[in-house]
Amino acid sequence: MEGLRNDGRRWNELRRIHCQLSTSSTNADGSSYIEQGFTKVLCNVTGPAEPSSRQKVKQDAATVTCEVYFAAFSGTDRIKRGRNDKKVQELQTAIQKTFASVILTHLFSRSEITISIHILSQDGGTLAACINATTLALIDAGIPLKDYVCACTSGQSTSIFDNEGSTPDPWLDVNYLEESDIPSLTVATVGETEKIVALSMENKVRIEMLEGMIAVGISGCAKVKGIMDAEVRRYGKTRLEAATGE
Amino acid sequence: MPIQIIAPAPFVTADDEADDEGGVRLDFDNDGDIAMDGDAPRRAAGRQSGGIVTPGEVVTEDPQWMRGHGTYLSQPLAPGGSQSIVSSLAGTISKTNKLLSIRALKFRYVPEIGDLVVGRILEVQTKRWRVDIAAPHSATLLLSSINLPGGILRKRTSTDELQIRTFFSEGDLLVAEVQTLSNDGLASLHTRSLKYGKLRNGVFMTIDAGMVRRMKSHVLTMNTSNGGGEVDIYLGVNGYIYIAKHTTPLTESGGPEGKSVSITRLEEEASEAIYSNVNEEISPETRAEIARIACVIGALAKNGVKVDDEMVHLGYEAALEEFLQGMEWGGDGEAGKRVVEAALAKRMEG
Repeated sequence: MEGLRNDGRRWNELRRIHCQLSTSSTNADGSSYIEQGFTKVLCNVTGPAEPSSRQKVKQDAATVTCEVYFAAFSGTDRIKRGRNDKKVQELQTAIQKTFASVILTHLFSRSEITISIHILSQDGGTLAACINATTLALIDAGIPLKDYVCACTSGQSTSIFDNEGSTPDPWLDVNYLEESDIPSLTVATVGETEKIVALSMENKVRIEMLEGMIAVGISGCAKVKGIMDAEVRRYGKTRLEAATGE
Repeated sequence: MPIQIIAPAPFVTADDEADDEGGVRLDFDNDGDIAMDGDAPRRAAGRQSGGIVTPGEVVTEDPQWMRGHGTYLSQPLAPGGSQSIVSSLAGTISKTNKLLSIRALKFRYVPEIGDLVVGRILEVQTKRWRVDIAAPHSATLLLSSINLPGGILRKRTSTDELQIRTFFSEGDLLVAEVQTLSNDGLASLHTRSLKYGKLRNGVFMTIDAGMVRRMKSHVLTMNTSNGGGEVDIYLGVNGYIYIAKHTTPLTESGGPEGKSVSITRLEEEASEAIYSNVNEEISPETRAEIARIACVIGALAKNGVKVDDEMVHLGYEAALEEFLQGMEWGGDGEAGKRVVEAALAKRMEG
């Protein structure tokens, strides 16, 4: 069992990703559901629509707003997180900023795109799953994006091998146990390029480790993009077939 | 340093097994060697399989094409280098002469002049209403572009302005036509025909905007079975649909088929009654048939079949047969799928 992590994965192995488009049949223009391991996230996108308040009106672009809801049962402890919870607000801002830069907002002046995310289960990499789910929901809603935004986490195990001079491999796609154990970061890239649009880390880590962690994260993002793209194509194909009446 | 990422184990669910072809995808699991190079051929192959492009995919690098909707120009790699046209949507490529555009699989309604839309009043202002028509912006309906009680040619007075809520108030549903579009795509509606106006005696439902096929007439009148009588269906191009009991006074003259009405007759018809908020008596039989039609339209849209005159009729027939066989029928799920398949089979037969 040498070199395996607590859930039996190798250092560079992703957890199982299952994603779906158009999961909600009403109200939302686009919706998606993603499972990354046991992290489960549901996302609905409405818009571009009339802004809900006058403050949100931008004359030359669409406003992107994001609402995140944690289900009380999503974590290990039952916690109700309100609208003003710090963690909720942090997630909202991170997602809103990320997507405001990738959506071609200039095409929809004076309108609003609302992203609403429900976190059903948390097992590490919540932000990453939220970003991936949002990308899929936006694609489903037919909102123009520069490219896919894919996110992935990576952590650095602080292992005993440190003093031998060789740093251990960073861990890709950390789960909840690992996340609470070792320093980890979330990285989001645009498509398969190495352009980073979001990077978040809440722990301290030695600066030498950072580069390796980001590199692993970026490679993970590219892989996630492939998986998401395959699902979009599969979904698109079935939809086209239905339309032509096959 | 090239990093290899091991793909996750394939997701297998009970109903997924057929697609899995006995674990063909399981070779993903071997040793992570497919990691990086696995994506490159898929990109090229994707174009052939169903012709779908996804956001960020380069559509063409050929400078002879012009970019249309759903695309953007990439930053040139080198200064002065050629720019390529990149897709920003997931959808199909459509070419018009030298114009390349992408048609999304699902999109919000974009108003066009002449569209018949069903809308809901959002706000009442002094001389106009703001109407939700499922577009990026709400439309406006001017007091001067509705039929005022007492005749189309009557001058609008300040009394009318004061009584604006008696015509339409917040939450009211109406059927209208897009009259003009401003430069930035804001629609202005009108209801100056007896075909248009306030909606009552029925149910409202929404489907995706792209699922309504554009037709000659978007108001259908159907003869329903089981003693349901005649039912009007307003298929708004914006994906808003209203299904109501057939009302006699309006359609005897105006008619869904668009027979022109003389101006004098119009005056008689445009009475206070057209702005009534009270439903007529609707029999349980009619209600059941209205619900059935709503289920059929919902099922058609859900299964990706465009809704039009023909499909509603065929779907309704299929739904009746399904009902007569004593099956559960709820509009979605399995029964809906069966009805849609039956309707499609009927269409094939001709």
